[in-house]
Amino acid sequence: MSWDLFIVFALVAVVLWALGAFFAWKERRKAVYVCTLAGLLVFFAFIVGMWITLERPPMRTMGETRLWYSFFLPVAGIIVYSRWRYKWILSFSTMLAFVFICVNLFKPEIHSKSLMPALQSPWFAPHVIVYMFSYALLGAATVMAVYMLIRKNKTTAAEINLTDNLVYVGLAFLTFGMLFGALWAKEAWGTYWAWDPKETWAAATWLCYLVYLHLRKARPSEWQDACVLLLVSFVCLQICWWGINYLPSAQGLSVHTY
Amino acid sequence: MAWKKPWGMTEGFLIGGGLIVVGLLLQVVLGPINWSLFAWPVNLVLLILLVAFIGLMYALRKRVYAFEWMMHSSAAVPCLLFAAVLTIVMGLLPQIKTGGVPWLSQMLSFWPFVIIWTWMMVISALAALNHLLRWKVKEIPFILNHLGVVIAIVAATLGNADTQTLQMTVFSDMPEWRAIDDNGEVHDPGIAIDLHSFTMEEYPDHTPKRFASDITVYTEDGDSVQGIVEVNKPLKVGGWKIYQYGYDTSRGAYSAYSVFQLVRDPWIFWVYLGICMMLAGAVCLMLFMAPKPVKQ
Repeated sequence: MSWDLFIVFALVAVVLWALGAFFAWKERRKAVYVCTLAGLLVFFAFIVGMWITLERPPMRTMGETRLWYSFFLPVAGIIVYSRWRYKWILSFSTMLAFVFICVNLFKPEIHSKSLMPALQSPWFAPHVIVYMFSYALLGAATVMAVYMLIRKNKTTAAEINLTDNLVYVGLAFLTFGMLFGALWAKEAWGTYWAWDPKETWAAATWLCYLVYLHLRKARPSEWQDACVLLLVSFVCLQICWWGINYLPSAQGLSVHTY
Repeated sequence: MAWKKPWGMTEGFLIGGGLIVVGLLLQVVLGPINWSLFAWPVNLVLLILLVAFIGLMYALRKRVYAFEWMMHSSAAVPCLLFAAVLTIVMGLLPQIKTGGVPWLSQMLSFWPFVIIWTWMMVISALAALNHLLRWKVKEIPFILNHLGVVIAIVAATLGNADTQTLQMTVFSDMPEWRAIDDNGEVHDPGIAIDLHSFTMEEYPDHTPKRFASDITVYTEDGDSVQGIVEVNKPLKVGGWKIYQYGYDTSRGAYSAYSVFQLVRDPWIFWVYLGICMMLAGAVCLMLFMAPKPVKQ
């Protein structure tokens, strides 16, 4: 498997996901599941193929993590669809996955970098996978927040409830990612938390989502403030994920810049 | 109006602002926090004081309204927000040993930062205690999350000064017992390392793929442990964890020596306990604490 074949697998997957999204509008549930899962299978086949060819999990470069993000967006989408039956959610997750696929197609980075010793660990895969899944869920929560802020008074209790659920599950996975990282760091470097810039931003992001949770408990009626908070939290998350590569505070100081 | 019962978030913001002012005064008067002063047994004394303080606050919760209020989410919101903002500032400014932006480039020894995080720990501990003492099975998720984070962060912070990190450079077949700290001072870690062989594999582009050292470690009791140390695979001997740290990069696979990092962290058990509770808490967050779905 190689990146040259990515366009084939990606386009087949996107077409299948788009069909799934189309059937969601037509309320043909069985077709929704069949198409979306088939798309996921095709996309995952590419990931597995890359994993075998590279002889390492494809999680090292930004391009490789985008691969997982594109995969988990429809996963999160189909989970939300199966629980809340939003007709639009799959259209949205497909579109976003497509954007990330396009970034990979048009801005290919050095994809063939070899894996340095510090990254050769059983913690590597779970650390990155749970983070990407969490990012996908929290991304969906952010879109819900924008949608609710635009529609203001038309917002329903079910929409607020969905957003809360996305954040609860997303935060749980964010916690897994952070703590797996700490346990791994102890094995690799002898210290579980070093306030490396990436770790600092992970802590800031985690705290922001904790504010959301507690704010929703303290003032349930002020969901608009909570929505604004979700936007701020997602900005922190983006800085943590890729923004720190451009921050002066992280230059030469972070062990997380690849 | 603030300070009218029941207190809400406004009071939390005022208290947080007050704590920041107190922190700034301490910073001016005492200078930055010197964490090495917290070494054993000072950290134990502080821990006992902290636990006693929290216990006392809990016992007085019916008499002192502030303590009662601190257990509620409306107290948590401002506190978490202050902590988040300070942590974001820390992320935006390069954190360096000296220089940079006064105070803020050394955030970890900045009094307001440490006081806000301590306040967060006290609030979380009080809330956990409150749920723990009115014990019910359905309180477990809340307790795991709030107590777990307190145990992990308090143990990590108080234990920091007791953590020893040393470096030992060992040449082949020349047993070594001297190790140096960050300041270049020589220490006797109570173990000696004998390097039998150093191996290194490279990728076709000559970046390192794997490097490992075959060593025997001798302890003061006369025990010896033989093993291979490589990146991500440390060896545990006599209270130390031995990490593969480096080698002579100019000679690569032909390096005549191997550099090890020796780490001793007596508080690690409590940090791991806290982390395990947080992991279990995160599972509960997803399965039991998330609000029940409402269908459209």
